[in-house]
Amino acid sequence: MTRMTIQAAVTMGQLQNRLDNIGNNIANANTAGFKGRDANFSSLLSQQINTEPDPTNPVGRLTPEGLRIGSGAKLGHTNVNFEQGSMEVTDRNLDVALLGDDQLFQVAVEENGVAETRYTRAGNFYLSPQEDNQVMLVTSDGNPVLGAGGEPIVLMNNMDDLKIEENGAINVTRNGVQNVEGQLEIVQAVRPRLLEAAGNNLFRLSEESLDNYPLAEIVNNVGQADVRLKSGALETSNIDLAKQTTDMIETQRAYQFNAKTISMHDQMQGLINQLR
Amino acid sequence: MLRGFYTATNGMLTQQRRQEVLSNNMTNAQTPGYKQDQTALRAFPELLMQRVENRDIPTSQGTKVPTMTEIGAINSGVYVQETIPDFVQGGLRQTDIATDMALAQGETPDDTGSIFFTVQNGDGDVRYTRNGNFTVDGEGNLTTNEGFYVLDNEGNPINTDNMSFTVTPEGFVQTDNGEVALDISYSANANDLVKNGQDLFELGEDAEALVDARGVAGLQFNVLQNQLENSNVDTGQTMTDMMQAYRSFEANQKIIQQYDRSLDKAVNEIARLG
Repeated sequence: MTRMTIQAAVTMGQLQNRLDNIGNNIANANTAGFKGRDANFSSLLSQQINTEPDPTNPVGRLTPEGLRIGSGAKLGHTNVNFEQGSMEVTDRNLDVALLGDDQLFQVAVEENGVAETRYTRAGNFYLSPQEDNQVMLVTSDGNPVLGAGGEPIVLMNNMDDLKIEENGAINVTRNGVQNVEGQLEIVQAVRPRLLEAAGNNLFRLSEESLDNYPLAEIVNNVGQADVRLKSGALETSNIDLAKQTTDMIETQRAYQFNAKTISMHDQMQGLINQLR
Repeated sequence: MLRGFYTATNGMLTQQRRQEVLSNNMTNAQTPGYKQDQTALRAFPELLMQRVENRDIPTSQGTKVPTMTEIGAINSGVYVQETIPDFVQGGLRQTDIATDMALAQGETPDDTGSIFFTVQNGDGDVRYTRNGNFTVDGEGNLTTNEGFYVLDNEGNPINTDNMSFTVTPEGFVQTDNGEVALDISYSANANDLVKNGQDLFELGEDAEALVDARGVAGLQFNVLQNQLENSNVDTGQTMTDMMQAYRSFEANQKIIQQYDRSLDKAVNEIARLG
């Protein structure tokens, strides 16, 4: 009899997770380059109960022998949706938006003494002062953005103007003379579903994926000719608020339905108790 | 003992089981491609009731002969005979994700016919599913969200390499490397399929094998990319059924209480003196 409560309780926990996910999506509705996650359900195990009192007399049966009762639902996945967000023109020289699908900027991150390359779609960059009158191109968290050869992009200060070209070239004007002094290195995610969120709007590759698959099969360098950037613009979050709100209401109602199942079960137990 | 005591108990147990099936439907109201279960109740086999009598034979000794008179049939209970998945098409929902696919089933040559995606489970066995909420794994193969391979019409996994592929309405996956046909299976009698959990259906014993849907005359179907098939659970209907099952459970409980009162009288009042 407790099957009913177990089904409902398990599913309510999973619905709560879905709400958490929707909450996170909505919270990031204004985060540049943010990619939302979709959560969809999948049914849990189905239990076979052999109840036919007389197996030799299955008159009028439509299905194979026995009863099959499921045991609830769980979240099947929370996959990142890499759909392109819309462009917001900012006219800021250091803002760039990637126009190619599944293309990512590379960012060098050092965390707990371990250095690794992470990936992001957020193109709101800054210049961070370095030693010897140099500046380095960094993300909003101060992590270096990687350029040609996987090296950070370091420029001499005292520039008149800086422009990031469509192909990722960093064009610097000094004393009226334009020069390409750096190049953004863009990668393409071949297997976007292997990227895991690392926080701070960054994606990383888990050690498990790197152990099992060659890096080139997961992310590919994009040749300069294939890079398409829009400078002076930012890619906004790809969250559709209307859809998220609808999902939220739908999930909340499903939660209520399952809570109702539990209270109905409780009342049924009450009836059993009142038998005598 | 009073016969109806057990009949009413059966009624309660049956309604409980029905509730379990209904609450499972309710939990899966958001599972893509889920097919709700319907319960079929059945009465216990009929019993023939007879009345035992004595008949006087008009002789000098006044002999009595026992006879039996048939009264009629009685059913002494009810049980859930089977849970039948309802293969009615669920609504379609646009998701704009390339790895989401929905099967839209048009006319079928058989009333009970239904089409499915063909997948391979963890043990390498062929299973069927309507949940087209797929993904691409680390090797570039199209899988279900449980990681089971989605099969092509030759029984092999489908390598899409990346997530930029197109699925035609006829079910062909077009990638940079060419075109592969999704294996869409058709079962002439979908009731032969047994639910396995994880949205999978398994072919029951002695059941007719599924066939390639493209070769079936009079079958109309579409594979829609960027869409998902909703669960076909109607939450309003399910809630109503649950309330009805609840009241039926309650009614049976009341009957047991009535029987208990009758027994109470039999035990405590019949033999009371004075």
